Amino acid sequence: MKYVDRGGLAFFLKGLAQDYDVYAPRQVGDELVLERVDPDEAQPEVAWNEHRLAESYKPFFFQTGKVVSRWTAEGPQGAAPTRPRALLGVKACDLKALQIVDKVFRDHTFQEPAWCAARESNLIIAGDCTGSADSCFCTLLDDVPWPKSGYDLSVAPSDGGWLVDVGSQKGEAHVAAHPTLFREAPAHAVQARDAARAELKARLEALNARYRTRDPLELSVSKNLKTRIWAKLAATCVQCNACNLVCPTCHCFLLHDVKTPDGSARLSMWDSCFHSGYARMAGGGTPRLQLTERFKNHYFHKFVSFPRNWGVTACTGCGRCIDACMGRIDKRDCLYRLETEWLPSEVLGEIH
Amino acid sequence: MSNAFVPVPALLEDIVTETPTIKTFVLRPERPLPFKAGQFVQLELPGLGEAPFTPSSDPREPERIEITILKTGLVTNALHELEPGAILGLRGPFGKGYPVQKLAGHDVLVVGGGVGLAPLRALLYHLYAEPDAYGRVSIRYGARSPEELCFQRQHEEWVAREAVDFTPTIDRPAAGWKGHVGLVTTLLDDLDMDLERTYAVSCGPEVMLKFVTWKLLDLGFAPERIYLSMNRNMSCGMGICGRCNIGTHYLCKDGPDLCYADIKDIPYALG
Ligand SMILES: Cc1cc2nc3c(=O)[nH]c(=O)nc-3n(C[C@H](O)[C@H](O)[C@H](O)COP(=O)(O)OP(=O)(O)OC[C@H]3O[C@@H](n4cnc5c(N)ncnc54)[C@H](O)[C@@H]3O)c2cc1C
Ligand code: SF4
Ligand code: SF4
Repeated sequence: MKYVDRGGLAFFLKGLAQDYDVYAPRQVGDELVLERVDPDEAQPEVAWNEHRLAESYKPFFFQTGKVVSRWTAEGPQGAAPTRPRALLGVKACDLKALQIVDKVFRDHTFQEPAWCAARESNLIIAGDCTGSADSCFCTLLDDVPWPKSGYDLSVAPSDGGWLVDVGSQKGEAHVAAHPTLFREAPAHAVQARDAARAELKARLEALNARYRTRDPLELSVSKNLKTRIWAKLAATCVQCNACNLVCPTCHCFLLHDVKTPDGSARLSMWDSCFHSGYARMAGGGTPRLQLTERFKNHYFHKFVSFPRNWGVTACTGCGRCIDACMGRIDKRDCLYRLETEWLPSEVLGEIH
Repeated sequence: MSNAFVPVPALLEDIVTETPTIKTFVLRPERPLPFKAGQFVQLELPGLGEAPFTPSSDPREPERIEITILKTGLVTNALHELEPGAILGLRGPFGKGYPVQKLAGHDVLVVGGGVGLAPLRALLYHLYAEPDAYGRVSIRYGARSPEELCFQRQHEEWVAREAVDFTPTIDRPAAGWKGHVGLVTTLLDDLDMDLERTYAVSCGPEVMLKFVTWKLLDLGFAPERIYLSMNRNMSCGMGICGRCNIGTHYLCKDGPDLCYADIKDIPYALG
C-alpha cells in the first residue's frame, strides 16, 4: 500500500498525459462528466467522483459506430486500434462491468478485437466510493463499493492525501517510476480508509434493505418464466432503450456495412433487445413481438441466462438504468416484486 | 490476433437459377473454407451488408461453396442481381452444424420447406457419402407451387437412391402436377418409420417449424429426437453480439439447429 499527497497525485496525472489520452471526471455545470484532460493544462482539475458517474466507461472499450473492418483496394482488413487511454474515477461497479463483458468479448472462442485491444492498452485508475447515489444497489448483488480487482491503480482519500493500491504490473511500473511521490502508507491512514469503507457499505445496505430478496435473484426471476407479472412491471416502459444504452454490461451490437470513398467499411452499432425486430427470424416471424416478452427477456438474460452461461450475473447494481428510465421503472423494485408477488396460480397453461 | 469481422474474399463463379425466387451462388473463396453440414457463413456484398446462410453444397468440397438464396430483402435482392465474376466476402463457418454423431446408426427424417431445403441438402450430401453409417433417409419437402421446388434436377437421383425416399408436395393444386398436394405436415400422416430409431431434422419458415414440431410430437417423437433450424436474425455469427439468444442458447454458436427438448420450455422460442 502506497500513499501520495494531493500535489503528488496531480503531478503524477499530468505526467500520464505523455503516454495516454487521460479521461477524468470533471465538473461541467451541475454535472460530473468524463472529459479528456488537456495535456497542456497547468493544473489539471479532476473532480474525484464520490460514486459512479451518470455515464459508464463502456464507450472507451466498446464504441458505437466504430469501424471494425474495411475493404479497400488492398483487400479486407481489420481496423487500427485506438490510442491508449488512462481512465480515472472508475468505481467498483464499473470494474465489475468490464469483467462481465470480458467473458463474452475476450474469454471466448471468438474475440471482439477492439475490446481486447482496449483492455490491453487502457490504464485504469479506480477509486473507492465515498458516497452513493440513490439508485446504487451493488450491495444487493453482494458486492462492495470499493475496488477489489480489475484495476491498475486504485486510490482512496485518507489523511489529507491518497492511499494507492497497485493492482497490476502496469500499475506497479508507474508507481516504481516515481519513488519520491509514492511512499509507504502509514497504518493509521489504512485504518481510516477501512473504517470509511465499512461505514459506506452499511449505509448502502440500509438504503437497499427493503429490496433484499430471500431467494437468490436468479431464482426470483426464473420462477416467473410463465407468470403474468411482466405486463405489470413493463406497464410504463416506452421502449426508449435508454436502459440498454446506459448499462455498462449491455453489449449487443449490430454490424452495419457502408460504402466509403475507398471501398467499404463495417461499423459495429450498439443494439437493443427492446427493439421489436431484434429477434426476428428468416421468413419474417418475430418471437418476441410483445413488449412484455422483450422486457422479460432483458431480466432473464441478465439474471438467469448470463449467470448460467458465464457464472456471473450481468448486472452490477450501478443503478444507471433506474436513473435513465423515463417510465420510472426501478430495477430493484422489479426484482423485489418478482419474488414477493410471485403466485404459483398465475402460472399460465403450458404453451406449446 | 485474427479478426473475425474481416471476411475472406470469394469469387462468384456461377449462378444457377433454381426457382423464380431462389438462386444458387457458386463461390470460390480465396482459401478453402472447411465447414460441417449445417454450419453457416456470413455472406457479404461489400458496402451493402451481409446476411447469414447455410451452404447447400457438399461439405467435402471446402474450396467450392454453394449457397442457395431466397430473394427476400435488401441484401438478397442485390445478390440476385449479380453476374458471375463479382467478388463477395465470406466469414465463418459458424455454429455447430447438424448433430451427425447423434444421427449415426439412426434413420433420419428430413422435413424441408421452400428454401429450407438448402441447408438440408448439405446434410443429405453428408448422409449419402456414408450410407453405412446411417439408416434410412426420408425426405419430405414442401413448396408453394411446382416451380418453387428447389433442386429439381436432383430429385430424380434422390428418388432412385436405395434407402432414401423422397416425397415432394405443393400447397395448392397446379396444372400438370401429379404429385402430392397439401402442406408439408400432411406428408407426415402416413409416416412409415420406426420412431424408436429415428431422428427428425427440419428447416423452413418459422410457422412451418412450429406445425411440423407439433405434428411430430403427436406422432410420438420424443422432443430429444427433433432438431430445428432456428434462423434468427444474427449479426456477428460467433456468440458475442447477443442478438440470437433463446434462453441460455445462442443460436449462432449452439445452433443454428437446436434440439426441441432444449427450447420447449422457453415461451415463444418457436414464435
Ligand atoms: C443461420 C441461418 C442460415 C440461413 N440460411 C439461409 C439459406 O441457406 N438460404 C436462404 O435463402 N436464407 C437463409 N437464411 C435467411 C437469410 O439470412 C435472410 O433471408 C437474410 O438475412 C435476409 O437478408 P436481406 O437483407 O435480404 O433481408 P432484409 O431486408 O433484412 O429483411 C427481409 C426479411 O428477412 C428476415 N431477415 C433479415 N435479416 C435476417 C437475418 N440476418 N437472419 C434471419 N432473417 C433475417 C427479416 O425478418 C425479413 O422478413 C438463413 C438465416 C440464418 C440465421
Ligand atoms: S429505460 Fe425504461 S422505458 Fe426505456 S426501454 Fe428501458 S425500461 Fe423501457
Ligand atoms: S442493469 Fe441497470 S443496474 Fe444493472 S448494470 Fe445495467 S444499468 Fe447497472
